[in-house]
Amino acid sequence: MPTALDLIAQEAIYRAAYEANRRAAVAVPLDGLRAYERARDGESRPLARYVLAQMVDNFKLAVAEGRPMCGDTGLPRYYVKIGNEAAPEGGFVALERALRQAVAEVTHDIQLRANRVHPLTRRNPGNNVGVFAPSVDYSFEPDADWLEITAVHKGGLFGTDYRMLFPGDGIDGIKRFLLDNMAAFARRGLSCPPVTVGVGIGGAKDQCVRLSKEAACLRVQGDRHPDPTVAALEDELTELGNKTGFGAMGLGGDTTVLDVHAEIAYTHTGGTPVAISQFCHAYRRCTARLYPDGHAEYRGDPQWFTPYYRREGIS
Amino acid sequence: MTERATRAADLREWHITTPVTPDAVAKLRAGDIVYLTGVVFTARDGVYEHTLKQGHEPPPGLCELTNVTMQSSPAGVEVSPGVYEVASLQATAGFRYAQYMDAFLEKFGVKLVIGKAGMAREVYQSVFQKHGAACLSTMGYGLGAIYGKAVERVRQVYWAKELGISEALWVLEVKELGPLLVEGDTLGNSFFEGANQEINRNLEKLYQGLKQPIFRRLGEEQEPGRELF
Ligand code: SF4
Repeated sequence: MPTALDLIAQEAIYRAAYEANRRAAVAVPLDGLRAYERARDGESRPLARYVLAQMVDNFKLAVAEGRPMCGDTGLPRYYVKIGNEAAPEGGFVALERALRQAVAEVTHDIQLRANRVHPLTRRNPGNNVGVFAPSVDYSFEPDADWLEITAVHKGGLFGTDYRMLFPGDGIDGIKRFLLDNMAAFARRGLSCPPVTVGVGIGGAKDQCVRLSKEAACLRVQGDRHPDPTVAALEDELTELGNKTGFGAMGLGGDTTVLDVHAEIAYTHTGGTPVAISQFCHAYRRCTARLYPDGHAEYRGDPQWFTPYYRREGIS
Repeated sequence: MTERATRAADLREWHITTPVTPDAVAKLRAGDIVYLTGVVFTARDGVYEHTLKQGHEPPPGLCELTNVTMQSSPAGVEVSPGVYEVASLQATAGFRYAQYMDAFLEKFGVKLVIGKAGMAREVYQSVFQKHGAACLSTMGYGLGAIYGKAVERVRQVYWAKELGISEALWVLEVKELGPLLVEGDTLGNSFFEGANQEINRNLEKLYQGLKQPIFRRLGEEQEPGRELF
């Protein structure tokens, strides 16, 4: 058992959860900001360029004034990576309480929109906390005594879809699914393109949906999957997504997709379940790494997909 | 930057105050850019349901004060009892409210509807034209900080208790709220329909050689060039 000195204090966990959440709502991480600037500078269509310039200006104004960068602050959610040797004070029940409390406080303090409502009665508790809210996902990391808390404000009623494909559909089946997904959601800019696309391939149905969301939200621009087959598909799909020409806001332009990130999971021999998620241009996330001495480091790259998390090399 | 950028993109730009005059609305053409100063009120699912289905009347004085509505729930809070602030503002996708527009424009006398991404051209032709109304779209979307900064004051929030804060009717004083894109004008044009035509020609080529999935789903659209609403 760890000694009392090794425990990560409850107060520090709360503060990191609060701060990561606040920063995520206001400041687009650097990889995203740079990618939108590149899209703006490389855009050949004047109208799309105008829209991209407004997006970049909005990112900067949000930081300068501490305002949420989109008026729809999405569904605040957390991804928690736990070092194998990490021990939160009060255990994981206390950690979860801190996450809920942080969401409620940030909702009030920086004026997040109170988005979370009862799905049938539509009753709104007013603080983004409720049944299964905020959602929290966990992963583990060997040889580490820290905790990492990643806050994501996932916006968008549009952009996520699931399709049961079969081996006979092949890579073409995934390409067609991407085109369908773009034609459905990038049209009129409903999913707020340029988007970052996550593709979850394989596993069970729920697993590929989850992986697609994590791939969209938790990997940085330009990152490629370690499996060369998957990495090649990421390149191919990025190009295909941009060839659709929907562009910023769906008004026609060169950049519809900033990047495509694919994740795979071993699956049933008879099928290829695939899910696609789009992370809108409100590209909102922030990661805090918390050490046992209570100090926290904040960064834009969640480093969520570690070799251990993907179970690389484990058979 | 806005005036210069607007010119660079070859767009016409209007600065309009509320309540908007029929004349000012009639001049707007699909593809123009608008900045609004004055008062705007929010309405989405909750308000439509409350007023159009349950028959509640608009708050007293509202319709004289403004004829501009936004399909939005602001990112804002009650800082002290009855006092609200807005940090960030954005509209939600408007197509799903097309069904309410005729009765809503009639009941509230609205001439400008600000939404996200507009509605089908047929709605402009069958409903908006009749009321001399135009449909604006936020840009970006999600220029939340830019639109939020344009909110000078929250005048009043109605029905927060009945509808919840995110569905309530907010009355906002705004200064140069924009840029907003004229999506549907009083002639019944839709700016997005123009963009879609060009994109669809391109899409057709990309689909060539890609088969339908082996296993299809019942009840869904199979024609990628069509709008799904
Ligand atoms: S999809 Fe994203 S950018 Fe668009 S309105 Fe929603 S949160 Fe904002």
